[in-house]
Amino acid sequence: MAEKGETAGKRRAKVVTRKYDAYVVAAHVNGRLFGVGFGDGNVRLVDSENIDADPTTVEAHNGAVLSLAPDINPGFFLSGGDDGKVMRVGPPAVSEVIAEEKGRWIDHVTTHADSGTRVYSVGKDATILNKKGVRKLKHPTGVGGLAINPKGKRLAVSHYNGVSLWWLGAEGNATVLEWKGSHLDLAWSPDGDYVISIMQENSLHGWRLSDNEHMRMTGYGAKVRSMAFTRRGHFLATGGADAIICWPFTGGGPMGRAPLEFGYAGGAPVTAVASNPRHDVLAAGFEDGTVLIGQPGPATPALIVMGNPSAQNCAVTAMVWNTDGDRLLAGCEDGTLHVADFRL
Amino acid sequence: MSDTPAPAALPQIPVTVLTGYLGAGKTTLLNRVLTENHGKKYAVIVNEFGEIGIDNDLVVGADEEVFEMNNGCICCTVRGDLIRIIGGLIKRKDKFDAILVETTGLADPAPVAQTFFTDDDVKKRTRLDSIVTVVDAKHVGLRLEDADEAEEQIAFADVILLNKTDLVSKEELAKIEARIRTINPFAKVHHTVRSNIDLDQILDRGSFDLNRIIGLDPDFLEGGHDHHHHHGHHEKEGANPLHDEEIRSLSVMLDKPVDPAKFSDWISGLLLAEGQNILRSKGILNMAKSDQRYVFQAVHMVSEGSFTGPWPTKDKRKSRLVFIGRKLNEAALRDGFAACAA
Repeated sequence: MAEKGETAGKRRAKVVTRKYDAYVVAAHVNGRLFGVGFGDGNVRLVDSENIDADPTTVEAHNGAVLSLAPDINPGFFLSGGDDGKVMRVGPPAVSEVIAEEKGRWIDHVTTHADSGTRVYSVGKDATILNKKGVRKLKHPTGVGGLAINPKGKRLAVSHYNGVSLWWLGAEGNATVLEWKGSHLDLAWSPDGDYVISIMQENSLHGWRLSDNEHMRMTGYGAKVRSMAFTRRGHFLATGGADAIICWPFTGGGPMGRAPLEFGYAGGAPVTAVASNPRHDVLAAGFEDGTVLIGQPGPATPALIVMGNPSAQNCAVTAMVWNTDGDRLLAGCEDGTLHVADFRL
Repeated sequence: MSDTPAPAALPQIPVTVLTGYLGAGKTTLLNRVLTENHGKKYAVIVNEFGEIGIDNDLVVGADEEVFEMNNGCICCTVRGDLIRIIGGLIKRKDKFDAILVETTGLADPAPVAQTFFTDDDVKKRTRLDSIVTVVDAKHVGLRLEDADEAEEQIAFADVILLNKTDLVSKEELAKIEARIRTINPFAKVHHTVRSNIDLDQILDRGSFDLNRIIGLDPDFLEGGHDHHHHHGHHEKEGANPLHDEEIRSLSVMLDKPVDPAKFSDWISGLLLAEGQNILRSKGILNMAKSDQRYVFQAVHMVSEGSFTGPWPTKDKRKSRLVFIGRKLNEAALRDGFAACAA
């Protein structure tokens, strides 16, 4: 049987595939290490310089990993679990409790290395840990997502009916960006002028901070699940359709403009996107386990790099490039973990 | 075409929603589910951590956060915290067999139920099994007078535990049960003391499974006898405008085959216009030019329906729809349904 979307291009990468018995929740990179958080409570560390070497398994949580971020020191990761612990995880198999909220779930974590900031959320509260100490921020409803702006000055926290913007370095109340509905994952544009939220409905909402302009990005057939700005912020790439949707952020933003679509791979929806840090290249993972890479644009064919058409329940749930942008890690709902090396 | 078998559907974890007014006996029942040796592992989503005296890492606290979906449906409220919690639970490696969701005594069950028909991920990995309502036989009379929630919890139920029956006389009990039946003729009612019931009677019932609805109430099409007695009763009551805000049920029947397109237009228009007042509806339909029974069910405006299998040859084919709600316009419903005849 033909592999789905094979016509889109041939494999041109070395791919190492491993299979674990747990859901891949999140994946990040820090220095030369990939960190992957699993539903069995482990964080597995994959050496991007030696993808054949067995990953290091760090037992981080008694339960499931719910959230992961690169930690503030190179080579380390910060994970949140349903055991109420925020753990610092690193090689060779270090795990250290950073914070604990007994009986609660650590729903989200995020960090900013240069400013030495860690943030985690439990229910309606987000807690900032930085040089100034510990500060708890209250929100009207449960926190749907956290994101620190590229300069490390502001924290965006999503909840029902909007996003609260807090200054990390100063006390004071949040500025609330209002929009009705439930807001989940957040992203800042690389220039820090746009805040975008994935909504519970099949849509995105964005705010341009310089003039408080709203942006509605709708028309998706499925939950958006994943989004990433391209490295210079020209496009916001998202899942939620059977191809990668790229909203233009040049020339005043996406208002009133149609998004670019590319990278169709047979009809399954895109469940994860990752933006290459060195090139204008995007990776997309699909609900059927296919992973492809390509440049935003209608003319360039996308390249299928991984996939397992006979596997079941293998939706791609997490994806990340290494810092040089020549290796890609993708993890799936069924515990499949691929690492591709494009240095050929 | 490939030779590989079609991907197996993901296992859907059954979810039982447990409602009931304060002090009715929910916590007692919850503790039984958590401690009894029934061979199944339950993840339990509770509102008051303290009430459950059990240290179990599958007990999760919830915040009962209701919000409105921007999907053009004015009554489509869902529980955001449930979406978040279920999203977390399905990532766990040490899996569980079923989920039990406890709601607070003052909760409207609709947002909980609608969550299971609205969110893609929740729909993919879980299925709403039943809404179980625990009712305090001694105090329900008063509750029904002063709290809309008590009435709604009965209206939404698939299974009702009429609890604390030892605290009332036989006559009082009969009166209460009749009152419950006026509100909800679908539900299976069990009389209990200290929430003592065989857990098989409340768990894994398949009340929302279109393929099992008929099996749960084989007499559905024979509405009018047995526990459907009350119909005569509220026809009288319908004349009293003071009772307009009260929840009641009514059914409409059709002997002629139903035209699928006409029915689809009528029911979607009806639920769009009246979905806030119609809490639940259910039906078995004899669609024209089909040998299959069509089963329909809805929670407010969120509806689903499908053909579920052939009609038994001995049965007379006919159609019946039951509505539970407020301000039901019996004549309009009857005429509307009659106009769906092929």
